Amino acid sequence: MKRNRLRELPAVALVYFSGALILLVVVAIFYYLAHEARYAFDRPFPYGYRFSLQPPVLEPDPYTGEIVDDLTVDPNASLLAANFEGEDGVDDKEQSAPMPTLAELEGYHPFGTGSAVIATLEDVNLDGLYRDNWKKAKPASQGDSFYLFAFATPEYDKPTMKLAWGPDAAFSAKDCPYDIRLRLVRAPEGVELDPFDIDLVKHEQGAIELPAWIAKTDADRTSGYVFEMIATPTKSNFVATIIGFFKTDWAPTLQYPRYGFVPLLLSTMLMSFVALLIAVPIGLACATYLAEIAPVRVREWLKPIIEMLASIPTVVLGYFGLMIVAPGIVKVFSESLGMTSGRSFVTASLVLAFLLLPTIISIGEDALRAVPNLMREGASALGFTTRETIKKVVMPTARAGIVATVLLGFARAIGETMIIWILSGGTAVMPSANPIKTLAAPTRGMTDTIAIEMGNVEFEGAHYGHLFMIGLALFLVTLVINLAGYAYGRKRKWLAS
Amino acid sequence: MASIVGVKFPTPDQVAGRDRLRKRASLAYEGWLWIIGITISIAILALILTIAAKGLPAMSWEFLSAAPKEGMKEGGIWPMLRGSILLMAGTLIIVLPVGVFGGIFLSEYAGTSRFAYTVRACVVALAGTPSVIYGLFGLAVFVLLLTKHTSLVAGWLTLAMFALPVIVLTTESAIKSVPESFVEAGVSLGMSKWQVIRRVVLPSAIPGIVTGVVLSTGRAAGEAPPILLTAGIYYSTAQLSFDFEMLKKPVANLPYHLAEGYRQGSVIPEKIIWGTCLTLMLLVLLINLAAIIVRAKARRKQTW
Repeated sequence: MKRNRLRELPAVALVYFSGALILLVVVAIFYYLAHEARYAFDRPFPYGYRFSLQPPVLEPDPYTGEIVDDLTVDPNASLLAANFEGEDGVDDKEQSAPMPTLAELEGYHPFGTGSAVIATLEDVNLDGLYRDNWKKAKPASQGDSFYLFAFATPEYDKPTMKLAWGPDAAFSAKDCPYDIRLRLVRAPEGVELDPFDIDLVKHEQGAIELPAWIAKTDADRTSGYVFEMIATPTKSNFVATIIGFFKTDWAPTLQYPRYGFVPLLLSTMLMSFVALLIAVPIGLACATYLAEIAPVRVREWLKPIIEMLASIPTVVLGYFGLMIVAPGIVKVFSESLGMTSGRSFVTASLVLAFLLLPTIISIGEDALRAVPNLMREGASALGFTTRETIKKVVMPTARAGIVATVLLGFARAIGETMIIWILSGGTAVMPSANPIKTLAAPTRGMTDTIAIEMGNVEFEGAHYGHLFMIGLALFLVTLVINLAGYAYGRKRKWLAS
Repeated sequence: MASIVGVKFPTPDQVAGRDRLRKRASLAYEGWLWIIGITISIAILALILTIAAKGLPAMSWEFLSAAPKEGMKEGGIWPMLRGSILLMAGTLIIVLPVGVFGGIFLSEYAGTSRFAYTVRACVVALAGTPSVIYGLFGLAVFVLLLTKHTSLVAGWLTLAMFALPVIVLTTESAIKSVPESFVEAGVSLGMSKWQVIRRVVLPSAIPGIVTGVVLSTGRAAGEAPPILLTAGIYYSTAQLSFDFEMLKKPVANLPYHLAEGYRQGSVIPEKIIWGTCLTLMLLVLLINLAAIIVRAKARRKQTW
């Protein structure tokens, strides 16, 4: 007997090991999703402002004859920013644009330039000053400060000049975890000017008028006005990343990336909801038919057909939607909704609903069949018709199971990737308040964002980390829905016994 | 007592009329359900037949057995088909023991303990977890931690994880459907618990287990997102060399081929895409058919 026990031990150990392994898998998924999501918190927060010294009234450029009032295209504007080195994209002057000499500036407007952070103003080395100052992006916990030297060229003849500023191209100070200020450090000799300190987050764009100050020699260039742009962090990097994650725009590849996943979450939820709205009534009716009405022979034929749909790979369903459903949708709705492409919210929801049908039918049928026959017989003995039996006896008894069916269907819809990838159109935008507009517009969910963008992302970077954050959110959402469905399903068994 | 004065009892005529209405409503309801049931089935059949009809023109022996030619404008899809079969076979071998033992654990050893409840909840949660989550996990662990680049092994392990919960659940229900009297007979003969499982329960449950295993591997073979992040390349024209190196290289396969084909735009002609869709669908459907046949044969032999 004992020898037998010993011989069985490995097998029994393996059984327990397998059970424990399942637990381990869930824990491991959690752990590694969170582990990789930590890269999101190394996220650098770039910011960028452009400054330009201008005459009080803008004059046409002496060479091109145009009036440039947009600082982001003004060749004289200095960009003060903390951003990726050499990954500018707007201009590539940051490496090779030393502060111009007065001779080079002949004929230009009054001019100002920025410089890197320096310890004291006395240490300024004229050769080390560059027009643009791009530095490596820093996490929110580290601030930065830049000096700006402003002077006018000798031929400048007006009594005042204007320091104008504005945010760099796609930069928005509202999303930025910094308090950014512009202050006067030093006014040139002989100029009376009250010191000022401007909040650049509140006043993203603006100008301030100054008495003109003319640099007579090259050495004078740094003895004019000196301004300082100071960025001090207002939030820790962790908090800023979390807040950024719950913002409403997703634009991870921009120069000033934005990682708000709310539009993706909303789109996924809404698409799944619309798909459920279509699939649940039809699916439950079909389940009722199979469980309560269909003769055994018919059911034996229909069930395999429905199961066959469940086994079609979703990428094939996606292609079917793209080549058959989408053109049909365009034909039907092009006039009324103004649709140009069939890849939209409504197409994705429709095909998703089709995908959900077999799930809902088969789980729903199980739920209905779990209602003991005694109850049907009792209802029948009381003179109930078939319809009354189903509506008043079977359905209420199976209610928990039906709720579970809907929940599991919802989780399935949220997790679907390929159909949404191929059919939703791929634009990450907030759903609009006008439901018809939302239905007709292309959109993008969480799952497809992960699948698409993971293909061309820098591993272990901020974008990569944020994709894992989305994964974690998705995992949590489906976990909760699935467990709720499971709990409801157990209730059903208790009712039936 | 006073309240009963106000009650009006219906006349027999009224009762008969109401009954007629009820019966008519019931008939209409039944008819409605018939229509829905049949319509849905026809719609599903139509969908499958449409894919078949669109895919058939591309189908030929050459399409299935040749490598793509001229930037996939011509030729076949054999390397991708081969990759899918390879992925499926490896997944099956990895997941089979763990899944079956996990199912035995849940049905025979777990009982109603708190641990068992947790494990069961975990299995249910895993079964409903989106496949792209498995892809992310595979990317973080099997790709970046183990091999540093996408590979066949990473794909196997990821797909095995994806298929695991379904196999555990079907194994559990297959074992639970073995009548209690079998177990009792075994115990009364003095068999130990494991002997009963090994010699009595498992042989009776095997058809159910096989069905579950085959179905979930088939489902895994058609699922694109896990492979997308762990094991795929767009296409391949190379011969497969069966050696150790093969395990460390990514493998071309049908779902990835279709997904990447979509991402890259209209490189592949529509006819070939339909053919590829049909092939993938047939691959999965044939596996399912095999499972159904196994189940049907076993049912015929089944004596309880």
